[in-house]
Amino acid sequence: MTMRTRMPRLVAGGATLALAASLAACGSGSGGSSNDGKIHVLVYGDSANKVEKQIVDTFNKTSKVKAVLDTIPGADYQQKLQTIISTPQAPDIFFNWGGGSIKPFVKAGLLMPLDDFVKKDPNLDDKFLPTVYNSAVVDGKPYGIPMRGTQPVLLFSNKDVLAKAGVKQPQTWDQLLDAVRKLKDAGVTPIALGGGDQWPTLMWFEYLYDRVAGPGLFQKALGGDKDAWASADSKKALGMIKELVDAGAFGKNYDSVKYTNGSSPALVAQGKAGFELMGSWYYSQQQTDAKDFAAKGLGYAAFPTVPGGKGDPSNVVGNTNNFYSVLKKTKHPEAVAEFLKLMYSDEFVKAQLSIGNLPTTTTTSQFVDQSASPEYSRFQYDLVAKAKSFQLSWDQAYPQTASTPMHQAVQQFLNGQLDEDGFIKAMQALPNE
Amino acid sequence: MTTQLTSAPPTAEAPRKARRRPEDSYAAHGTRPGFLWALPATLFFTLFAIAPLIMVAVLSFMSWDGLGSPEFVGTDNWKRILDDPVMIRSIWLTLLLTALGVVLQTPLSIVIGVWAAGHQRNRAVLSAIYFIPLLLSATAVSVLWRALLDPNFGIPARMTWLFGDGNLFGEQASAIGVLAFVSTWQYTPFHTLIYQGAARAIPPVLYQAAEIDGAGRFRQFFHITLPQLRNSIVTSMILMIVGGLTTFETVLILTQGGPGTDTTISAYYMYQKAFKGFDFGAGSAIALCLVIAATVVSLIVVRVSGYDKMRSDMEGVS
Repeated sequence: MTMRTRMPRLVAGGATLALAASLAACGSGSGGSSNDGKIHVLVYGDSANKVEKQIVDTFNKTSKVKAVLDTIPGADYQQKLQTIISTPQAPDIFFNWGGGSIKPFVKAGLLMPLDDFVKKDPNLDDKFLPTVYNSAVVDGKPYGIPMRGTQPVLLFSNKDVLAKAGVKQPQTWDQLLDAVRKLKDAGVTPIALGGGDQWPTLMWFEYLYDRVAGPGLFQKALGGDKDAWASADSKKALGMIKELVDAGAFGKNYDSVKYTNGSSPALVAQGKAGFELMGSWYYSQQQTDAKDFAAKGLGYAAFPTVPGGKGDPSNVVGNTNNFYSVLKKTKHPEAVAEFLKLMYSDEFVKAQLSIGNLPTTTTTSQFVDQSASPEYSRFQYDLVAKAKSFQLSWDQAYPQTASTPMHQAVQQFLNGQLDEDGFIKAMQALPNE
Repeated sequence: MTTQLTSAPPTAEAPRKARRRPEDSYAAHGTRPGFLWALPATLFFTLFAIAPLIMVAVLSFMSWDGLGSPEFVGTDNWKRILDDPVMIRSIWLTLLLTALGVVLQTPLSIVIGVWAAGHQRNRAVLSAIYFIPLLLSATAVSVLWRALLDPNFGIPARMTWLFGDGNLFGEQASAIGVLAFVSTWQYTPFHTLIYQGAARAIPPVLYQAAEIDGAGRFRQFFHITLPQLRNSIVTSMILMIVGGLTTFETVLILTQGGPGTDTTISAYYMYQKAFKGFDFGAGSAIALCLVIAATVVSLIVVRVSGYDKMRSDMEGVS
């Protein structure tokens, strides 16, 4: 930050362009200028946009300052956001994943803490489930308002495969190991794992660390206490993961299997695997890919408990929600506050439920039966509402810079390229600022 | 590469033009063509190649995460990437994949190209089918092969005698093998096209003379065709090497640099550093390394092969 002249910025911009050009990356930013007297709302472009559009329309009916919805389609969202957020094209309000996805922006002084909004309207805090709300709290101040659905990670299963092998949905770790043995004997892959994507592997680490050590260990590590990774609890969790791998739980070719190309869900749907640990979006994925199976054979449950573990058995991990954060330099803070209030409105909750998202307001419970799949929504809502802690996925809790080395480390530990010490060192080397 | 593709087929006009020597036209006008003629191309090249290159060079001495202003850090980025074991390994991996590409693709494309230059029956149909991969985008090809090589639902599941448990993307050797294979599958047709054109241009008198001297097909191939293709081989190899050094999308889609960092080649590492890690300084340093490496390798190939002398070797060469 020492040079604040125009030249380096120009140079840097040009070089970004050069890097982008050399990768043949294309696409244009759609963020509008904030000088047109409107508030710009930037969201990740996908099928959920119709609700965001609806809310913006509702807002525009009464507000003098109009809102405009801009979208960035596809997986490049974070990259593009990072390049426009400190330019005049920056939006007023933007979609994010909380935690590490906004921390660098907070550190760079770009975001507005929302405590003033909350002071004027306490509902902007009280109306949301605290475990979810907390994942967008940075340095004690709220920076995000939940704006889509929660996505806890659940243990999905193929009920027929389990029944044929004489396995019940496991409640404890030992039952899970027992199930693995029986499923293996029955000739199926006990647990489908999209190891090629790396992040599905991370989910096993997130749950086992939480169950064994409680959410504190990870929070300590994230806060900069690198010794947490070398603690006895950390080693115990790693030992259990190894135990699972050595028992043949994931088969042998999990690193060649991907979730993102539909391969691991197909293993479960076609009865070639018993379980899969995945975010709650798995349900709608199976409804799309394997309709009959989703209707009859798909089971879901909370992650098994670990006897003697320090973590509360009610704890969940996953994507707590998506959030709207606000740029400090917005010219219309009052209008922005009014817009954010819509995120706990009944209209918002109903609209999200209608597209299969599970909003995390305290009022969700009374509408949950109107959801597309009431039973599943009810299960998830109760799970999340009762959870003592909801750990945001590690790769989203850490800053973006850490996600690649973190994904590599979990993959390498699982396939044996890294031993316990190697994994601990890799995690200690992650940047947490 | 596209310039190669769009070069027009020889027309009836071509020989006439070639016979007129360039000096004649200068003499007729009395002056050399003005600088103005080169201006559009020069501007274009400066704007889109030279200027960004200089900016990347400058950025490689700065620390920048995309937020705020870049900060000068001297040679910090360079020290960091040169000490980074993943970076060092990525260079070796890049060279290995490039070498594999050249070794696999060159003989294949020469053989197919020379065959396609002939006049056999069904040749046109078979060649047309064979050139299909050329029309597909690298991304589509990679997605296709990722699906075909799925261990549970793809080819490996049906051919366990060959693929074992099908863990092709889970081990370094097989992952590299897949990358080399897919690149070969995709790019061989392009190089075949170069050789087809070059083989067609070999004067038939050479073969007629050889036949009179009693040379068989193999001797004709090794003593006429191959020597005559020398310039094309150099062209094609430079394209392969530069293409190999900058391979990116194949890795992005097929292996994502994994397992672990086992197939993280330099171009992909640059992407990871710059666009996933928002470490644009280190990303620029890697980019610059790639530019330098590709330039040096191309120069070596040109110098060693004598391509820069550009002698015609169509007729009268032993």
